[in-house]
Amino acid sequence: MYARRASQLLKELDACEPGQLVVFNSDVFDQVIRECGEHNAQFQALIRKMVEQNLDIETTRNEDHYGAAIHHLSLLRNKRCLMAYMYNRAETIRSFRWKIGPVLPHEIQEKLNFSEKEYFRSHSSAIKSYISEMDIDLTVDMVPPKDPYIQVRVLEDIGEVSLGDHSVSLTKNSLHFLRRTDAEQFISQGLMEEFLE
Amino acid sequence: MPCYYDVADILMEEELISVVFQVTANGVGLLDPGAERNSVEKGAKVDLPFWLAHGMLSLEQAVSINVPPCFTQKTRKEIQADAACVDLRVRCPYFYELGCKIVPLVGDKSIGQFLRYAFASRYKEILSKAHSSSTMTVPKFTTRLTKEEAQVFESARESMSAFRKWRVGGARLQKASILGRKRKTKLPDGPSTP
Repeated sequence: MYARRASQLLKELDACEPGQLVVFNSDVFDQVIRECGEHNAQFQALIRKMVEQNLDIETTRNEDHYGAAIHHLSLLRNKRCLMAYMYNRAETIRSFRWKIGPVLPHEIQEKLNFSEKEYFRSHSSAIKSYISEMDIDLTVDMVPPKDPYIQVRVLEDIGEVSLGDHSVSLTKNSLHFLRRTDAEQFISQGLMEEFLE
Repeated sequence: MPCYYDVADILMEEELISVVFQVTANGVGLLDPGAERNSVEKGAKVDLPFWLAHGMLSLEQAVSINVPPCFTQKTRKEIQADAACVDLRVRCPYFYELGCKIVPLVGDKSIGQFLRYAFASRYKEILSKAHSSSTMTVPKFTTRLTKEEAQVFESARESMSAFRKWRVGGARLQKASILGRKRKTKLPDGPSTP
């Protein structure tokens, strides 16, 4: 069936949890693009046949016209599926910048294809330049904290980190009293958790 | 109005609709498995995905659409008997969306009322189960829900757990959910190291 393969791409997208990403399916993606080429070739062939019969291709409604129309509709469908695949992935990739930060962990990196990595880098640097221009960090928690300081427990060895005017040694399972803005990025990366009594 | 990039809308349009060709179309023999030449003859009955059926219909009525079986009298009777027990997902995973799109094409106005009746009578059941069932397990009846209903169920569940979280209080800052899986695989070796 026409455009069935393209919808498989979207089924894959639909099956994974919102906000998550699966590996870019370049196999099927390329197959769909080849399918588009075939539709185009058959479309051209049918139109050429009509031209050879000296028919007006704009007003004639014969078998060839309807065949060509089906190929045309299939092309549009394939295009919509491919665009939606890229668009929805791009949306998720953009959200990574806000949730995780400018550096993606390895297991996410390998799910992206080349142009998506490029897209993430450019998007990240665009946000960065905007933040420095505005001189306000937009990636921090949007809800005003009750206390500017927060008690955290370190989950993995991070090592010596300089925060503001002093440096802290963040070893595993140690407790620290940090500025909330300093701690946020470690928490979102999963290296610390908020310590609640 | 669904967006051009809407995944659910695209997948919904993949549902097969039985149509009868009112014209002959060359070069598309793939559509009709019974075709002898590489074409679909006039009068051939073919299953087309909704997007193609819709496209052909807007092309000077090149095809005529048969109402899909999930909107026929038989299903209506079942829904009237006990709406909550009918397995709608088997019949059509995008029951409501497809129904809304098919009404203007087939001119059967009673489909609209039927859809509303089906949704209204199933909605109560979905909502009460979403609010009362345990959050850890997935209740059996969810396999009977269409995609749209499953979404309602999930939203109701999420709002319920958000409410619980708000009442209990707790950490506001959390690890990004995208990284959540990695954490889970690491948990077992946590207690082993004293």
